[in-house]
Amino acid sequence: MNAISPLLVLLFFPGGLFILAGGLAYEWVDRKLVARFQNRIGPRWFQPLADVAKLLAKEEIVPDGVHAGLFVGLPLVALAGALTAALYVPMAGLKPAFSFTGDLIVALYLLSLMTLCTGLAGANTADRFSLIGATRTLTQLFSYEAPFLLSLLGPAIVAGTWRIDQIHLYAQSHPWLLLTQPVGFLIAIVGLMGKLELPPFDAPEAETEIVSGALTEYSGRGLALFRLGKNAELFIGLTLVAAFYLGGLVNPLAFLLKTLGLLFVMAGLQSLFARLRIDQTVGLWWRYGALLALAQLLVLIIFRGV
Amino acid sequence: MANQKGSKFIIPIGPQHPALKEPGHFEFTVDGEIVTGASVRLGYVHRGIEKATEGRTWVQNLYLLERVCGICSHVHAMAYVLGVERLAGVDAPPRAQAIRTLTAELERVHSHLLWLGVAAHEAGFDTLFMYSWRDRETVMDILESLTGNRVNYSVNVLGGVKVDVNDALRDTILKGMDFLEERTRHYLNVVTTDSTFLARTRGIGIMTAAQAEELGAVGPTARASGVARDVRVDAPYAYYPSVDVRIVLAQAGDLAARFVVRIQELFESYRLIRTILDNLPQGELEVRVSRRIPEGETVSRVEAPRGELFYFIKANGSDKPERIKVRTPSLCNFGTVVATAIGHKLADMPMLLAGIDPCFSCNDRMVQVIDQNGASRLWSWEDLVRHGIETYR
Repeated sequence: MNAISPLLVLLFFPGGLFILAGGLAYEWVDRKLVARFQNRIGPRWFQPLADVAKLLAKEEIVPDGVHAGLFVGLPLVALAGALTAALYVPMAGLKPAFSFTGDLIVALYLLSLMTLCTGLAGANTADRFSLIGATRTLTQLFSYEAPFLLSLLGPAIVAGTWRIDQIHLYAQSHPWLLLTQPVGFLIAIVGLMGKLELPPFDAPEAETEIVSGALTEYSGRGLALFRLGKNAELFIGLTLVAAFYLGGLVNPLAFLLKTLGLLFVMAGLQSLFARLRIDQTVGLWWRYGALLALAQLLVLIIFRGV
Repeated sequence: MANQKGSKFIIPIGPQHPALKEPGHFEFTVDGEIVTGASVRLGYVHRGIEKATEGRTWVQNLYLLERVCGICSHVHAMAYVLGVERLAGVDAPPRAQAIRTLTAELERVHSHLLWLGVAAHEAGFDTLFMYSWRDRETVMDILESLTGNRVNYSVNVLGGVKVDVNDALRDTILKGMDFLEERTRHYLNVVTTDSTFLARTRGIGIMTAAQAEELGAVGPTARASGVARDVRVDAPYAYYPSVDVRIVLAQAGDLAARFVVRIQELFESYRLIRTILDNLPQGELEVRVSRRIPEGETVSRVEAPRGELFYFIKANGSDKPERIKVRTPSLCNFGTVVATAIGHKLADMPMLLAGIDPCFSCNDRMVQVIDQNGASRLWSWEDLVRHGIETYR
């Protein structure tokens, strides 16, 4: 029994299948909502799954001039990173599978692995669109990462712990942190959009400029894995933000309502704005995002100290 | 890939690229994100239409020339029939001229709305793209009920038109214009107040009036730089002498100004359409034009949605033209993209390109093969045949 339960945790819940299925479902909700906001009909519920199945069935073309090992390996690392992060997050409102002091930092870095891998994948190929895309991906990573981290440190500071599990428990027993730390919440949700390269932060994969950015040369399996990884990240990111800022996730129903509510807001933000240029993205984050997050953190630290 | 070894890093846009709806080739030399050089190469969709006109009769060419452009098909036919009628010494009846003008303005509405969507898409603002194209369906439906077609309207015949406007259709058009005017007001509000959109358009690709004159810019691209140039005003044709066209100008010369000018022109088109419908002359729809056009040559100019469309028509007295030369407005405006691109970010390039509302297959006219040394030479028919055999052996 003891040997089986970690396997179940890794393969089915909360790692593995649950995250993949949840990610696909949330991708569909996101696409459908954006489509409805844009006065389109949007895809049917199985479209994300069909996309992935189609991509997996296709030939993976390894272009000339790439390091083949890296080309094949990077999507795996990206997906693995996202799936591992799920183990430390209160998925579906249940206790995280694993928990230790400082797992918040580990989970955040595991989530960043995806972006890092995308950047490396772009830099690995000789394609000019990929190279520009990789530069933009990594530039964007440096711009939103610090404010995003700071915005999740806010709840950690007031809870006085670095364990996701305990911060979650703190959030459940106190008023919604959204009300006490509105700036942090805003930065967290916009930072998540930057992390996932959703519009208006989609300069790294702006199709009208650089085709598909860092992933231009990817097809078939690699592309499918990257997409699955991104979906997993959407799912986990929403869970994390909801757990910290929306009064915790006491049961699966609360989890569903709160994460979908967040997704609704994110879909709205996606359809409201024109794409920001990469220099505008960096300017936005460092001129406003980082400073606001820092200011709020200072306020929190001072209040706790008093 | 060879370019990476040197100091230059060139981003190719086209011939196949998601930003381009038709093939063209643009090379942007970049330093990081900043564009330091730009070049354009056209000619991927040369179709030999001008040559083809010489083997067809005057009537058959009407059909052919309408297919020069898929967006502004009617103005091509209109420029052609106006020129041919002048050569034949006939005048189409006033009602025919009014319906031609009406169709041209409806076409301008559809073209500008289409452009608004495309330009918004290039800026990554897909919501505006989807909404403007949804509303464009209104004018597409009107064009369909007026002419029977959504794209190649086939309104003109030599000496008149073949469609008429009845009272029911008139009401439909007026109702459609009311709806579109309200929507257009909303879009004008969006492109002039939305801060993320303005961040992508204001101050981008500034072209002064002097530059516009020097580069020979035409149409809304020139008018956004304060150059008052509009064939409808400068040399009114068809029914335009009877309606008073107000020229829409902006002084800024940047992308934002091009948005504002095109959207303001929509209001002007709505007004013109209403005026024409209110004062539609009664009478015949066409007059007879003989099959052979007397010898002579003429120049016919009309204002297409993208600017001045120029036709040179030469007749030799037979039932076929001697030579027809078409110069479309996009060709005049390509130079402005190359001239204004330098110093901007790579991310601005698709928008700058879209800013002139380019139409590629209309302006491709000649095969010019540029070899490695940059020298060019003309290929004879025998050369082309040999090249074809060797390439596909």
